[in-house]
Amino acid sequence: MIPGTSEAGSTYGCSSKLEKPFHAGYSRDLRRVGTANVNKWDLGLVVTSCQEKIQHWKKVESDYEALQERLRTLPDKLSYDIMVPFGPLAFMPGKLVHTNEVTVLLGDNWFSKCSAKQAVELVEHRKKHVRKALDDLQKVMMNFESRAEFTEDLQRMSDAASDFVDIREEIEDDSIGTKGKYRTAHKPHSKPKVSNVFEVDFPVNGNDTKSVGHFQSEEELWARLEELERQETLLGELDRMPGTVETNGEDASSSEEEKEDKRTDLNGTYRAEDSLTQGNFHKQVTNSDLFGGQLNGSTYYHSDDEDDIDVGDNSVPTIFFSHTVEPKRVRINTGKNTTLKFSEKKEEAKRKRKNSSGNGHATPELPNIKTPADIYRVFVDVVNGEYVPRKSILKSRSRENSVCSDTSENSAAEFDDRRGVQRSISYDEATQSDNSEGVLEEEEEEEGQQQPPKKLPPSSGTAEAFSGTVIEKEPLSPSLIPHPVIAHPVLPTILEWKSDEVLSEASEEPPKRISKFKAARMQQPT
Amino acid sequence: MAEQIQKKLQGELEKYQQLQKDLSRAVAARQKLEAQLTENNIVKEELELLDATNTIFKLMGPVLVKQEMEEAKGTVGKRLEYITGEIKRYEQQMQELERRSEQQRETLGRLQQELQRGQGKG
Repeated sequence: MIPGTSEAGSTYGCSSKLEKPFHAGYSRDLRRVGTANVNKWDLGLVVTSCQEKIQHWKKVESDYEALQERLRTLPDKLSYDIMVPFGPLAFMPGKLVHTNEVTVLLGDNWFSKCSAKQAVELVEHRKKHVRKALDDLQKVMMNFESRAEFTEDLQRMSDAASDFVDIREEIEDDSIGTKGKYRTAHKPHSKPKVSNVFEVDFPVNGNDTKSVGHFQSEEELWARLEELERQETLLGELDRMPGTVETNGEDASSSEEEKEDKRTDLNGTYRAEDSLTQGNFHKQVTNSDLFGGQLNGSTYYHSDDEDDIDVGDNSVPTIFFSHTVEPKRVRINTGKNTTLKFSEKKEEAKRKRKNSSGNGHATPELPNIKTPADIYRVFVDVVNGEYVPRKSILKSRSRENSVCSDTSENSAAEFDDRRGVQRSISYDEATQSDNSEGVLEEEEEEEGQQQPPKKLPPSSGTAEAFSGTVIEKEPLSPSLIPHPVIAHPVLPTILEWKSDEVLSEASEEPPKRISKFKAARMQQPT
Repeated sequence: MAEQIQKKLQGELEKYQQLQKDLSRAVAARQKLEAQLTENNIVKEELELLDATNTIFKLMGPVLVKQEMEEAKGTVGKRLEYITGEIKRYEQQMQELERRSEQQRETLGRLQQELQRGQGKG
């Protein structure tokens, strides 16, 4: 309310400043409120700003109240003696006249002369607006207060509960994310890794290599995996020849086992490949790279678990990953037109066994053969990049994949080799799957021993069950043949030797029980 | 390659900032208009409260100009309509600006991704 002039009626009115902020601020607040993000900080801000505005409007209202009072008392007298302000620093005595004439600012530069009573009515009308704004602000404030309280409570709860909101999942398996990368990042490596073999070979005892492998941290092994993979991809895929298996097995068998042992700790699914002796490197990428029945140090497999470790050929043992590849569904013709999944892991394990004489690697690498179907699943040949079910050893095709071709010498190394080879021979003998499994395990355990009995039937002891040597030295009678056949289904070499003389009969008797090598040998001379 | 992307990113970023400025200007203008709208509404209401005996003045600069009641009411009504029209216009403008700024944001995001990819490769 502006004090009226001395002559004209008193003029009053809310300055437009009051009005405008009233409306502008009001609308602004509402708009802001409407778009405010609901988070604790914002809620607090909104609440405080609401409170400020409420304070403001309350002041305005009280001003209007005072104005109304003044308007009511003003017309009581015809004129008042007042000290009129003269500029900012001076006053002048004057009279307030026309006490009933009030010029009211209606807003937007509109004025109207009205009586005091009318002015009071106008003020009342304005107060209505103010009260409306106040009410809205109060409502908003209450809403936001409740929300702020809720968020505060939530925060307090979460803090008290040691921050369970923050959920972190640490993915330790980097291979998934890096598989593709590994594939493309090739490191030129041409040399087969020799040192790996050597360092593995030194400790005859499997434990040593294990310890050797153990000191390598997981990260190093992963790095090794990477390098190996790169090398292999760089060098390209090499088909493994059956003949290479034995030679490979000799050198690499123990080393492979060792390496495998080393790596089993990391990941049961990975396979250390020893490509040194053969100088073969396999690409680690596609399923087609897998070779059934052919085992090389450098073979690798795609496991379901995605981590395949291929031993590189560098001086530093490197471990490659292979990408996670779903095991290809290999249509294995088991006679019923069934399709079994080709398990690279099993293939790998099989190959490992083939190569390594004393297979030291742990159980996870064994094919989990529990049913006859598993056998078909595990032992699948890869012919021309395609998966072909391993046929019966009696069939001519199996001879191609026959791993065991060299059975002349009767040396421990060869025994080991043969053992590995034999292990890798497909267990077409479904009935002996379990037996072979058990035997494999036993063989693995005895890996360190130079002259482990090749295959021990789980039931029998070690040395006596191994009739291989005996068989090799002597021309065995047919009676002996079935025994080893039964007891050691994975000893084809032994059987092979016999086969020349006798196996022909044995092969027919239990066709399934005779190793394909034996059969091959049987058929070869004939 | 990364540099090109960077330059493009800069350009798009500037455009986006410009859009944002326009948007904020439009928002401010709209707010002002809204304030005027409410004010004029109050004037209208208060004019209703007054009767014909009161003289109405309009402040034009330093001068209070006498106005008729009807004239004043008409003027206020027209002003109200004008203000509402302006608000609508600004609303449309704001929507358009928002749409364009959204597009710009998408472009920016894409460019950023490209840049990151390029940087990652390199």
